[in-house]
Amino acid sequence: MVTTRRSAAPLLLLLLPAALLALPQVLPRFHIYVAEIVLLTALLATSLNLAIGYTGLYQFGHAVFYGIGAYGTALTLTRSGMPAPVAFLAGPLAAAALSLLIGLICIRLSKLYFGMLQISLGSLVWAVVYRWYSFTGGDDGIHGIPLPDAIGSPKGSYYFTLAVTALCVFAMYRIVRSPFGKVIQGIRDNPVRAAAIGVDVRLHQLAVLVIAGFFGGVAGSLFVVVENSVFPDMMFWTFSLEVLIMCLLGGMYTFFGPFVGASAIVLLRVFASVHTRYWSLLLGTILALVIIFLPDGVLGVFVRRPRKREAPDA
Amino acid sequence: MMDFAANLFSAGTLSQILVGLSRTTILFIVSSGMSLILGVLRIPNVAHGSLYMIGAFAAWSVIQFLGGGLFAFLAAMLVAPLIVAAVGFVLERGFFSYLYEREHLMLLLLTFAFMLILGDLVKIVWGPEYRSVTVPSFFQGSAEIFGLPLPWYNLFLLIVGPCIAVFLWLVINRTNLGKIARAAAVDGEMVGAVGVNVGWVFAFTFVLGSFLAGLGGALIAPMVNISLGMDHSLIMETFLIVIIGGLGNMWGALLGSLIFGLTQSLGILVWPQFGIAFPYLAVVAVLVVRPRGLLRSTW
Amino acid sequence: MLDVESVVKSFDGFKAVDGANLRVDAGEIVAVIGPNGAGKTTLFHLLTGHLSPDSGRILFKGKEIGGLPPHVICRRGITRSFQVANIFPRLSVFENVQIAVLSRERKTFRIFSPVAGMAKEEVDRILRSVGLFDRRDVESDLLSHGEKKVLEIAVALGGNPELLILDEPTAGMAPEETERCIRLIRKLSEESGLTILFCEHDIALVFEIANRIMVMVRGVTVVQGSGEEVRRNSEVQSAYLGESGEC
Repeated sequence: MVTTRRSAAPLLLLLLPAALLALPQVLPRFHIYVAEIVLLTALLATSLNLAIGYTGLYQFGHAVFYGIGAYGTALTLTRSGMPAPVAFLAGPLAAAALSLLIGLICIRLSKLYFGMLQISLGSLVWAVVYRWYSFTGGDDGIHGIPLPDAIGSPKGSYYFTLAVTALCVFAMYRIVRSPFGKVIQGIRDNPVRAAAIGVDVRLHQLAVLVIAGFFGGVAGSLFVVVENSVFPDMMFWTFSLEVLIMCLLGGMYTFFGPFVGASAIVLLRVFASVHTRYWSLLLGTILALVIIFLPDGVLGVFVRRPRKREAPDA
Repeated sequence: MMDFAANLFSAGTLSQILVGLSRTTILFIVSSGMSLILGVLRIPNVAHGSLYMIGAFAAWSVIQFLGGGLFAFLAAMLVAPLIVAAVGFVLERGFFSYLYEREHLMLLLLTFAFMLILGDLVKIVWGPEYRSVTVPSFFQGSAEIFGLPLPWYNLFLLIVGPCIAVFLWLVINRTNLGKIARAAAVDGEMVGAVGVNVGWVFAFTFVLGSFLAGLGGALIAPMVNISLGMDHSLIMETFLIVIIGGLGNMWGALLGSLIFGLTQSLGILVWPQFGIAFPYLAVVAVLVVRPRGLLRSTW
Repeated sequence: MLDVESVVKSFDGFKAVDGANLRVDAGEIVAVIGPNGAGKTTLFHLLTGHLSPDSGRILFKGKEIGGLPPHVICRRGITRSFQVANIFPRLSVFENVQIAVLSRERKTFRIFSPVAGMAKEEVDRILRSVGLFDRRDVESDLLSHGEKKVLEIAVALGGNPELLILDEPTAGMAPEETERCIRLIRKLSEESGLTILFCEHDIALVFEIANRIMVMVRGVTVVQGSGEEVRRNSEVQSAYLGESGEC
């Protein structure tokens, strides 16, 4: 439906993967770490955008799925005897299940109410995790999580993160271009019309929430790989809104907008943390400027209104 | 089991409840401010917590400036909220009012942007360490309620709360400005069409809501460490309260605050580690039965 | 096919529909007319599940449908167009109809197949029959008002309905567009035997194509019958007294 300019696409398609694959051979360790954070945050933002940009749901509490995905994986790795692959499935599945549960509670509410309640329920989960010292480590979090050697090393973790992110983003891309993807966009633009053509709006919205929660959980489990630890603030509500900012900055109505936005914010934060103590001030100012002047986000500047095209293209 | 029951119904519980209620006062004051803004302007003001925090810090500064004592304290209770109201005025007229035509999501994110900005501005102005305000000697010590001590300051709060409620009710229902604001909450366009300068009505509402947030912060100053991070913790509770009570309904804010405060106090009594979850469960229970909140919402 | 019996719907005490009766037989074209505020659109909302009746029965092919949600009613075989053009603005003309077809084919949960080109033949056929084929790639928000109303009909057709309900299909259309719309409605009825129920303000149009007409005044069904019967009915005459239009 909305595409980047055709001339840029083939070039990007060649250069980007090459650069991404070559990265760890070329850059110092800290930069590899930053790249990993960029990738998983971009995955998180893209998963959020499924709910908010494509379906129009006011998903204000997305960070909780990220956090539960991380904790699910971390706890499975540290407490159960299960092998790593199970752990990396357990986290996202837990996130998806939680997403379904919260979705069922909130779905009857419209728009803002939905968002406010979701963020509040997310805070509840945060509070429980924060206080359940014996199980979750409380405000200390969990550290020194054991990982299989292949993905524990700096290069290994990078390639793992890259592979999983690429796979998940590709999956979401396919979803967005599928009948389901079209229907949820229809629901976003005109839920009354969607119902009138036979679409069970609530059911589809719940499905999106589960999918978005799942992929958010995957991003969380990738964090475990990158950092070897988890902590409660991963699911704090301010982070939910930060991820929302990433989607907004990059452009909520494009597929790669959130990716761009997440990359920008993560890189900015890394850069800014070296030079200033006032990251919140910087982020807040950028956000305010984007909202006031660039409501369609950065990519939105290039992709405002798609005009008449040759063939139907999603 | 008998011990537990005896515990629950003892005078200790009662005094716990009263203490809980006095904290509820603060919640109510802040929530009513948010409810006002939400109801009339349709803005879920995430920066509300920041305003609350500024109120606390400003109160500290006023008391420092005036050298402590009862007079300084009372002055702070008035001046700090006024400072916050001024900040609110700048926010509303300078930024938010330009985006009323946009979707709620944008406005909410803009208020979040200001929460970030104000948070760091507070850090710049007051520094990162926490401050404290001592209760003025007039309020020190405790009264005897049900044979158990209840700090005078808590009693003071228990009295202030209803006074504010009455004051707000008068403003909203008995003044012209209040009536216009209520009308604007229901149908802003019509009010504008009748010749009222809706802009000033909105500004007034936001300023009043900000004043209340600042007042809440000033009032709680003697009871807590005044620190950065006060903005984060309060805002979720406020959201929950206005959701339970019905968006935009002031009595809803009162009811919501009571439910929230009481379930929290009782929860902590019954299950100290996770009692904090009780209000959330109450919210879920309420919303399953009445999705729009307990009282009529203006939405 | 459709039986509406004594349906009542009020809003906060105001009775928008207060005893409506309607019968539509298979293959017919039935029109509902009445002065403004007669409750026509409310009745249509009741038929398609956007509102629930307070009392009365709505039977479609013998089964009660009153109070069912819109998507269920659509699956039973009733689709509609809306009075104010209600399409998916960000999707193209093709995609608008496509989504309706895919919904009917129960493919809305397919997440891994690309949607581009799905149901192409079906969608193209519908677009051709309504005359929007050469606009198929245009973003529907950019269409003219008249084209949007036709798109509405195309989307409703995507659901392969047994009963097609059109809410003021020619409202706001220029004369030639209205002509084309009338021809389209006739064609749909004659070629596919589609049962059509519509409401209109344009009385001449109604008398031109409707087999039977139901007249509503202030929420009540006054008469239902052929054009002649309606013309002769005294209540109808008094209701329309003062209104221009050939009655």
